[in-house]
Amino acid sequence: MSLELAILTGLAMGIAFGFALEKSRVFEPGVIVGQMQLRNFLMLKIFLTAVATGAVVLAALNGFGLVKLQPKAAAYAADAVGGLVLGVGIAMAGACPGTTLAQIGAGYRDAIFTLVGGLFGAVAYSYAQPVLSGTFLGQSGSKLVLSDMIGIPYWQGALALAAIIVVVLVALERMTSWRREVGVDVDGDLAPSHRRHGAGPRAAAAAE
Amino acid sequence: MPSLFDKAWSPYVAGVVIGLLQIPAFLLIETALGASSSYVTIGGLIASFVDPSILRIDYVSRHIAATGKNWWQVALVVGIAVGAFFSMKLSGAHRHPVSPIWKRALGSASPAYRYAVAFAGGFFMLLGARIADGCTSGHGLSGTAQLAVVSMVAVAAMFAGGIATAMLTMRRI
Repeated sequence: MSLELAILTGLAMGIAFGFALEKSRVFEPGVIVGQMQLRNFLMLKIFLTAVATGAVVLAALNGFGLVKLQPKAAAYAADAVGGLVLGVGIAMAGACPGTTLAQIGAGYRDAIFTLVGGLFGAVAYSYAQPVLSGTFLGQSGSKLVLSDMIGIPYWQGALALAAIIVVVLVALERMTSWRREVGVDVDGDLAPSHRRHGAGPRAAAAAE
Repeated sequence: MPSLFDKAWSPYVAGVVIGLLQIPAFLLIETALGASSSYVTIGGLIASFVDPSILRIDYVSRHIAATGKNWWQVALVVGIAVGAFFSMKLSGAHRHPVSPIWKRALGSASPAYRYAVAFAGGFFMLLGARIADGCTSGHGLSGTAQLAVVSMVAVAAMFAGGIATAMLTMRRI
């Protein structure tokens, strides 16, 4: 595929992605911070649904031999350390690298600072990368895939993962309905709804 | 039926739409959904105007190269902003410049303070994502769907870092 066509494909896919992120409200800082404070599980619901869908899609595409899987390098130490740092950043930004752009599109001004900070972070890593690649962060082990470890074809493992996720989602939705978690102003902020339903002074104080 | 004029879709509808994007990613671009590499492409390109020697770092030149995968992802994240903008316009779900949750989470109503935290958050986010070679999209959505153990390690670490930060350093929202 030519560069121009790849860019057009990316733009079209990005617009669909941006619509889905905005409609899902997972780009909202209230949803992200609420998830990380374990009081709002909307982020997990969207994330797990997308993972399960991706697993079913890839089970079919890979199972019928249409595509190769694209696994990342098995850098376990780097992924544990990097994942931790990334998680700290996600909580502080109230966003992920992708949803930062959705925040900018939807009108959050602080997301512009997140984006610039992100560019600085990527450049800082780029300067450090030649050094880091010689440390434990540059080590990679063998590529472990769950279905290989169990000894079943990938498509069976992927469908099993999707089935497990569906069970988890049913349980999460029974705990709290997504409509409640979206919140009154569709920003994942549950405090105003406490006030509206005439909760006690404690909830009202927490909402301030 | 979900409509483009809705302010919110069910997480299950939106999640399926996001998951289906793996079809064009794998079939047309031969890659998995991801977002954080694009920050190296754009950040490295901008930095090269100030310090051309950054292009001698193989990691940077690899990400800036005029390949379909590199620039497909840049176009993807630009498209995310465009899509979110039109979605917000169609539904009328206009946002304040700063989400009201930050005043409670940070214990400060100062926009300058919030901007500083956002900048630092962005910095850690991409530093971490590049160390881990992937973010919530690349490892989270794509790696776990491919049953890669390394991506599950990355996702568990992301949630551990995020939960610790939000629980220990922020006030309840």
